[in-house]
Amino acid sequence: MRKISRRDFLKTVGGVSLAVSTMPSGFLVDLYALSPSAKLSQVEAWFYKKLPDKEVKCELCPRYCKLGDRERGYCGARENRNGTYYTLVYGKVCAAHIDPIEKKPFFHFLPGTTAFSIATAGCNVNCKFCQNWQISQVRPEQVENVDLPPRDVVRYALRYRCPTIAYTYTEPVIFYEYMYDTSVEASKRGIRNVVVTGAHINPEPMRKLTKVVDAIKIDLKAFSEDFYKEYVRGELKPVLEAIKIVKESGKWLEIVYLVIPTLNDSPEEIRKMSKWIMKEIGPDVPIHFSRFHPMYLIKNLPPTPVSTLERARNIALEEGINYVYIGNVPGHKAESTYCPNCKKVVIKRFAYQILEKNLKKGKCKFCGYPIPGIWS
Amino acid sequence: MQKSKVILIKGKKLLSDNQLNRRIILLMLQKALSLLYECNDFRDALIQLFRPSDRVGIKINTIAGRRLSTNPLISLSLANLLTQIGIREENIVIWDRTNEELRRAGYRLNYGRRGIKIFGTDTRGINYEYELTIHKNIGSRLSKIQSKLVNKSISLAILKDHGIAGLTGVMKNYFGAIHNPNKYHDSNCNPYVAELYEIDLIKNKNKLSILDGIIVQYHRGPSYHAEWAEKCGCFILSTDPVAADFIGWQFIEKLRKKRGLPTLEEERRKPYYLFTAEKMGLGKASLDEIQLIEYEV
Repeated sequence: MRKISRRDFLKTVGGVSLAVSTMPSGFLVDLYALSPSAKLSQVEAWFYKKLPDKEVKCELCPRYCKLGDRERGYCGARENRNGTYYTLVYGKVCAAHIDPIEKKPFFHFLPGTTAFSIATAGCNVNCKFCQNWQISQVRPEQVENVDLPPRDVVRYALRYRCPTIAYTYTEPVIFYEYMYDTSVEASKRGIRNVVVTGAHINPEPMRKLTKVVDAIKIDLKAFSEDFYKEYVRGELKPVLEAIKIVKESGKWLEIVYLVIPTLNDSPEEIRKMSKWIMKEIGPDVPIHFSRFHPMYLIKNLPPTPVSTLERARNIALEEGINYVYIGNVPGHKAESTYCPNCKKVVIKRFAYQILEKNLKKGKCKFCGYPIPGIWS
Repeated sequence: MQKSKVILIKGKKLLSDNQLNRRIILLMLQKALSLLYECNDFRDALIQLFRPSDRVGIKINTIAGRRLSTNPLISLSLANLLTQIGIREENIVIWDRTNEELRRAGYRLNYGRRGIKIFGTDTRGINYEYELTIHKNIGSRLSKIQSKLVNKSISLAILKDHGIAGLTGVMKNYFGAIHNPNKYHDSNCNPYVAELYEIDLIKNKNKLSILDGIIVQYHRGPSYHAEWAEKCGCFILSTDPVAADFIGWQFIEKLRKKRGLPTLEEERRKPYYLFTAEKMGLGKASLDEIQLIEYEV
């Protein structure tokens, strides 16, 4: 992980003091302006309806928050002001890193490259196992933000030779307008855009988003509505709908499933999900079974046993999914990509590092079998 | 079983030309306290709740701007009564979430050593606790004003209709004491309001609950809408927050009925959290178990 130099960042924020710190894993705030009272943005939000008596109804996500004057949505990042709905986080970045693309994780998207990764504060769900709750489960004024308008994000990506900008760490759906505009700006300069999301979003905004980004990684947090209700405070159905929309759009899609002991790790649930993937989006969408570590509101469960992850992987492979990975277990053989035809290693990985690449023009170097993905 | 006592006190001449009469406010609060503890002098009532050495927080509600927030005259009058039992001015904090909201509601901030302190949680050096307080469905960072600065508190809330919860009153007022209230507006804010209040640092510190019913927003709350706001000129006061809110809810229903509006239950936003709170033993949510005393000064 590379950090933006203090000098460079100061140039951008026009002399505002800055502290750069590397936090322990899971807490990714790396870029601060020391101005807790910094103003929030007031940019009119998209996807909402004005209602009588200065009320508004947000239509960005399936919550459909109905809000009176001065009220905020569940995300904490959008506010009704006098009957107009505003995003408070447009260009207000609370975290920025230069990460390996494998960290998102994207395993079939420009392997071995870096992504200029940004987030703003807030989230439209409340996962009890959130890894970044210090920035996702807060209101934007409760963290230190810096102004980073879309053109500056692009400038940074270019300066640090990142071929991709990643919208990540918190929930990019809640900074939709900023992500969209930045993506448009980045595309003009030949930079690609990837989104790391829980996809708790309505179909219309998701369709619109797929038109300006290149790849989307969706966290499928379980395959039961009960889990979504209890541990995510959201719904599963809209997430599945969003997955189908991304697939239909032709944009690159990968799925992550965080396996939490006793909560979403039953073989039945994994098989049900695998069957759904096979039926609805096909065998070539990579799925990553990631290891859970106790975090945020779930500290009473142990980290996922590797055997549980392997069992999940085997089930998905049995059901016919071609690219099934195990995440958060550095050194595991399932970090690597195998050719479904000759079974040889096409990309060998260790954690976020690429050790070997046996791909030629998107095909297996050994047998010529096409490996789906964005490779160049 | 002993009933919870709730005082509903009205002030005849509280409002004239839309101006609050400070003298009447003081009289109302004094009388309500006396009635609550059946004593002649309000100080005898207050001394049963507070000690002169206490650091007392008065959690007010300023989210809705100047027209529907706790008026400074009211919170300062209450603070004045506290000083009359020996609590030092500098040990009283009138507070809410942000300094901006306090200013907008007409407060002059005071962080100084002298006088009654008035500031928000977002004041530099205050903020929310870094560690989460986890209790049942609640996982929140508490305002350090509530957790550290004060050892006793008063919830001085505006009595309002609420589009999701049905009612916002003394218990829900503590949503303003955590960093993530937006996460607790599912399912009519139930059980969140009750579970938040049950946290020791809130429940054990809250000694007095007051609903400000000077102007009651009985529909389309919690923001201000003149069409559905009525000047009622009253306070509802109790040591039982559930009972105070329950009476506040009945009050709102009466106003709604008068205007031909459906009940909150018909609008699917009955304040269910009151019944949850009752089941949790936080107070009474039934007219049979509440002794309501109405009085006018």
